[in-house]
Amino acid sequence: MERDVLLQLSHISKRYHMETALKDINITLHKGEILGFLGPSGAGKTTTIKIITGQLRQTSGEGKILGVDTTNIDDSIYEKIGVVSDNSGIYEKMTVWQNLSMFAKIWRVPNKRVEETLRQVGLLEHKKKQAGKLSKGQGQRLVLARAVLHKPRILFLDEPTSGLDPSTAVAIHKMLLDLKEEGMSIFLTTHNMEEAAKLCDNVALLYQGKIVEFGPPQEICLKYNKKKRYQVLLNSKKEVVLEQSQETAAKISEWMANDEIQRLHSCEPTLESVFLQVTGSALNI
Amino acid sequence: MGNINKLTAVARIKWICISRNTAIMVGPVITVAMVLAYKVIYGMNTDGELSPILAGMLLSLGISMNICMDGFLMVGTAIAEEKEKHTLRVLMTSSITGVQYFIGSILFPFALTVGVNFVVLAVSGVSIGQASIVAFLLLSAAASLISCVIGMVVGICAKNQMNANLIAYPLMLVFMMVPMFGNFSEGLHKLSGFLFTGVLTEMAYGFANGEPYVAKPLDIAVLVGELVISILVFLILYKRNGFEKD
Repeated sequence: MERDVLLQLSHISKRYHMETALKDINITLHKGEILGFLGPSGAGKTTTIKIITGQLRQTSGEGKILGVDTTNIDDSIYEKIGVVSDNSGIYEKMTVWQNLSMFAKIWRVPNKRVEETLRQVGLLEHKKKQAGKLSKGQGQRLVLARAVLHKPRILFLDEPTSGLDPSTAVAIHKMLLDLKEEGMSIFLTTHNMEEAAKLCDNVALLYQGKIVEFGPPQEICLKYNKKKRYQVLLNSKKEVVLEQSQETAAKISEWMANDEIQRLHSCEPTLESVFLQVTGSALNI
Repeated sequence: MGNINKLTAVARIKWICISRNTAIMVGPVITVAMVLAYKVIYGMNTDGELSPILAGMLLSLGISMNICMDGFLMVGTAIAEEKEKHTLRVLMTSSITGVQYFIGSILFPFALTVGVNFVVLAVSGVSIGQASIVAFLLLSAAASLISCVIGMVVGICAKNQMNANLIAYPLMLVFMMVPMFGNFSEGLHKLSGFLFTGVLTEMAYGFANGEPYVAKPLDIAVLVGELVISILVFLILYKRNGFEKD
């Protein structure tokens, strides 16, 4: 059965004077799906989010969000979507609770939901704390809590774990996967390919405003796995990389039979190496 | 109902942010303290009794200072603070409309400015019985509204709080100083008649002299005209970039 399409961009382009920021962007986001937009800084990720959420207007092409043309959306769209930008702020002079309760009033969300959301992000015990005194990770969780407070149908996240410590990033990843389980669709921009591979159902590799590859992360990686290789660490601490062949199969089989292998990995490309291969440019810049 | 909820949410956010910003909240306190201090100093040799000209000057100083400091700075700095802390975009992407943000932003400063004007009237030495409370309320409200709209213009132009102060101070100098020094120069006095703070100053001196305030056509034209001009300037800037330039 065809899943609900919540977001569709067809041939979207954006030009600023002489500079082209986006070229012919085509994507579809279904219900309960996480779509990752991967690309280096300046690739056009934030511009895409701004066009979809009505903060910018495209030069050409058509975008539809929740069935509404992106050029015709009004402020009421924000009752159905959540937006977390890379620099979304919090009201530092308010308490954690007040930061959410103000938005609960705007979205007509009961206080019970505020409590539920704070518990979900692990900030309930800090509800009386001044938001300005939260750590960076806690602040980011508060931003995320605010964005999902009204149970949006689509959540837009612009670099949600940028600059966070690994444990906070893992906690945020878990939360995003839980939200996905609840049926929320997530549009995620990142330049962290591990994050994208871990979370996304589909990724779009964006380079200089153009999608150079699109699909499930695993499929993309396998598509570029043209020269199969295996990395073997032997008991003797010797590490070898072997290309797929009859001889390699026999050698590995022999090592296995003699219990000489300590570690064995296939060497399919990562999203980062695919990106490098397709564009000739590194992703983490 | 939903619109009222949103409006009250914005007003509450602004109230919390402004009331907890000591740099802004010191404005009304300084105004009242200054009027009180002058009253005590000037009254030292006259057993606390002030001449009408001095009482009028204190009332005029207090309300001009209050209108300019609270309106321009309070509203402008509060918007600039939201830009600085990256909360303005959050609010604008939460289904709040431009109109709701506009009204919600000026409600608290407007009420505070009008309220402080009455406190200044009470401590200035002008007998309450000499002042027409209704006229004072109406003119205070009109002037406060204009200053709040100008504050919105300051906020829309400013990138951060420091920048808001830089934009607001020259405006404050004009709208505060011209009526204050109007008594010393004929040219300034004439110019003052075309400023909304000048209209207030005239009313203050009138009250101090025991004269009832009668609205002149020029006063009404100045108040309405400057309100319309400030709203138009705001709308032009808002249409161009919204509250925050991309």
